[in-house]
Amino acid sequence: MATNQDIPKLSKELCNRLLTDLERARRPVLYATKCSLDNARYNHKVGYLTPGPKKVATELNVSSVKKMSRAIFMLEVLLRNLDSGAVNTKRELYYISKGEIKHNPELKPLDFADQDESDSVIDFICEMIECYREDLNCYANDRGGQTYSQNLIVTETLPDATKAVVDLGKLGTTPFQPKNRPQNLKLSSKKKLDFCLVVESEGTANTLVANGFTKRHNAILLGAQGVPSNAVRGWCKRIQDQLHVPLFFFGDLDAYTIQNIYRTLKAGSAASLIRNSDYSAPDVHFLGVLPEDIKKYDLNDYPVRENDAQEVRALKKAQDALKNDPFFQDKRNKGLSQILKWLLQYKRRCEQQAYFTVDPRDPTMPEKIIVDKIKRGDYV
Amino acid sequence: MAKIADSKNQKITTSSTAEYFSKNLQQVGFSSQVKAVLTTLKEAVDNSLDACEDHGILPEVSVTVEKVGQGSLKNSDQIRVRVEDNGPGVETDDLPKVFGEYLASSKFGRGRCSRGQQGIGISAATTWAQLTSAIGARVISKTDKMRKAIACLVEVDIKNNKGVIKDRETIDWDRPSGLSVEFLIDGRIQLNGDAGLLNYLNGTALVNPHLTMHYKLPDLEPNTIERVSTIIPDIPKATEPHPHTMKLGEFIAHSHLFGRVKVNVWLKKGFSRIHEGVLKELVKSGGIKASLLEKSVDSLSEAEFKGLFMAIQNTQLMAPSTKSVLSIGEESLAKSIQRIGAVDFFSVVTRRPTICDFKPVQVEVAVARLEDRSVDGDGPVQVLRFANRVPLQFDKSSCAIVHAITSVNWRAYGLAQPREALPIGPYIVAVSVVSPFIKFKNASKETIDASDELVEEIRRTLIQAGQRLSKHIRREVKANELEERMKHIEQFCPILVSGLCRITNATEARKKRAEDGLVKLLGRDARVTEKELKEAHKVLQAQTAEKQLALPLHPTAQ
Repeated sequence: MATNQDIPKLSKELCNRLLTDLERARRPVLYATKCSLDNARYNHKVGYLTPGPKKVATELNVSSVKKMSRAIFMLEVLLRNLDSGAVNTKRELYYISKGEIKHNPELKPLDFADQDESDSVIDFICEMIECYREDLNCYANDRGGQTYSQNLIVTETLPDATKAVVDLGKLGTTPFQPKNRPQNLKLSSKKKLDFCLVVESEGTANTLVANGFTKRHNAILLGAQGVPSNAVRGWCKRIQDQLHVPLFFFGDLDAYTIQNIYRTLKAGSAASLIRNSDYSAPDVHFLGVLPEDIKKYDLNDYPVRENDAQEVRALKKAQDALKNDPFFQDKRNKGLSQILKWLLQYKRRCEQQAYFTVDPRDPTMPEKIIVDKIKRGDYV
Repeated sequence: MAKIADSKNQKITTSSTAEYFSKNLQQVGFSSQVKAVLTTLKEAVDNSLDACEDHGILPEVSVTVEKVGQGSLKNSDQIRVRVEDNGPGVETDDLPKVFGEYLASSKFGRGRCSRGQQGIGISAATTWAQLTSAIGARVISKTDKMRKAIACLVEVDIKNNKGVIKDRETIDWDRPSGLSVEFLIDGRIQLNGDAGLLNYLNGTALVNPHLTMHYKLPDLEPNTIERVSTIIPDIPKATEPHPHTMKLGEFIAHSHLFGRVKVNVWLKKGFSRIHEGVLKELVKSGGIKASLLEKSVDSLSEAEFKGLFMAIQNTQLMAPSTKSVLSIGEESLAKSIQRIGAVDFFSVVTRRPTICDFKPVQVEVAVARLEDRSVDGDGPVQVLRFANRVPLQFDKSSCAIVHAITSVNWRAYGLAQPREALPIGPYIVAVSVVSPFIKFKNASKETIDASDELVEEIRRTLIQAGQRLSKHIRREVKANELEERMKHIEQFCPILVSGLCRITNATEARKKRAEDGLVKLLGRDARVTEKELKEAHKVLQAQTAEKQLALPLHPTAQ
């Protein structure tokens, strides 16, 4: 895996190789890791999805000359950013490319019709050099991961090597927002933390904090805000590796949550095979909602709506996942695949907020259930 | 109690067929003013074409539709619809029956692929004229036996369902035989769109290659569509009814046509697909006594009829014959499609006749791309539907033909298509269903009932047409792609090499070598590309010159 420092060197080597091939009138070929489920491997000892041997080869010919030209053009922009230390989002890079083309009419054929086109070129470069886009100074918006704790201290190493220290206990009700590149963060705690709870819904995480969760428990609480962003994934990995606290995920009981949210947090995704090592927290447990919780706590659940395209698609995907996804096929994850099977069989779903029905007059009831479940080891 | 007493005092009356239809003209195509004009024209033209075909005459029909004043109905115009033909004409005695009597038909229940079937349409048009303009149909008729033509006014005696002739006179007419019928009706003229008169006239021309039609419509120059075929369609004779398509009552009624003949003779002569072998089977496994077959038909009791009917229903019979259907044929359709506008290319398919829902059916399809792409290029394709060679112009969405078109994946053939909708583009998709027993959804024959079997048969025909069409579209797409590729080489090579050189800080000499190498490399591709492009162009030019995309895969089957 290339690091930030290697990239300019690797890029030059790559371009040199291409140029040499061209000088000899030989067809250059670019190889990129195939990032898809059919090239994903899972080993419970590793804990996350890793790339298999498949590579996508792009040979220079009349069909691929446009793609290659665009990749070299974008690489030049990114290398310039690395050189100057400038950072950009994908959207900004799209406009930077447009600007370059506007000021240099010879580049007109490279013009991107929409952002999807420039995004795919950036992804292609990452797969080719085997690096994160953050390594190319291309950052996503820091979405999700708002973190609360009375005892967590974060030390960030800034680009100029100075250190910024954030004591989360002193932030009041303001959460700490992890960055997209949490590799620069060092974590420590004032006293030993009992656990870290990742809540699917940011709103519910806020409610728990407002009701005093972090005051009563020596824990870290963070909201995932749906499918975890790179920031959330890297942040959880950081918490796991540096603090060695048990991690729990609390979210809805439905196929989408299990496959798209929890699986991505625990083992990464097929689309990001090359960076799952830094962007997954294999020790995170699924605390609930579990199918048995519905009966145990008499939770309100409801059938999957036939016209809810996202849910129907998620169920279909769950069927495929049971057959093809190495994560769900691993016998260590049998508990999770059993939940998927249950969802497919009963076609019902139950939301995390359903815990509020247990005692509607006690705002801390969900907290009590969560803590009780952790104590009793009632999780997958 | 009062209610019961009231109902007991109510008089039960009977009314004539004409009375029924005069109060329910919406059921036979007069539900709006636009439809009234189109239906009137359609009924007159259908009658002309049927008559010409029956008498082996190449039809030449003149149509005039014009606005003559304000109509008596609210927001309506008074319209004159006149249709003249060179057909056999109608004998004087038959004129009141044809134009003024409901259910008086020479075709009812005969099981032939004629346009008209029941004898309702033209009488309904006369009734509409009578109700809205207080004047019936003005007719001029001349048969080849008449020295002079007869001109008269035919009206419907609604109370008695009889036609009445008025103002009768004899006149000179410059043709050996023919018929002219003129209606003054209230309505509104719509020329364009699905329900437009032009759509009807073009559609009629498409499926009747042997027709020459002169038409004069408001705001348009008089026009003539010349015939492209001199072959008069030979409408196959009707076959005897198939017993599996009948109900018990029909079965018994059918026996009355035969009088005093033996049952076995009646069964063999009166039905298709019943022969000696079937009769033996009836005796052997159907539980029918051999003596019953020797009895006279008129002596059978109701129970015996029922037993015989049930036994036949339970016996395996060959499917009905498909000989009674009539096709336009791929060749004629191919010639005819070029009369409806300038088309780039097209494909036509005539399927073999087959059995759908126990009735013989033949489906033909023509798909054409219009040369003028600006005409609704982004809208859905123009669908022309035909049942027994009559255009269907209303209630498109529930028609079997539209169901079949939307069920085909046109994207596979190079056409854009939203999910479960008609494909998009400057195309005409014409589908003709011919059968002696078309199942319409209503008496006005606007929509074909979408039975699964029929939809599947139409779908298969469309798929065949689509496959033929796609060959052309793919070639065209390929040519475009190849052209695009050539452009790629010229555009991207210098950009790629410059980018690589900037990143590697390469020298000018290296840059030059790389450019030469790349040109050499892609030059090989370019030469291959150029060759492929030339070939693709050659094929396209040849096809455009021929204007015929694909030749029939097999000769038209009968």
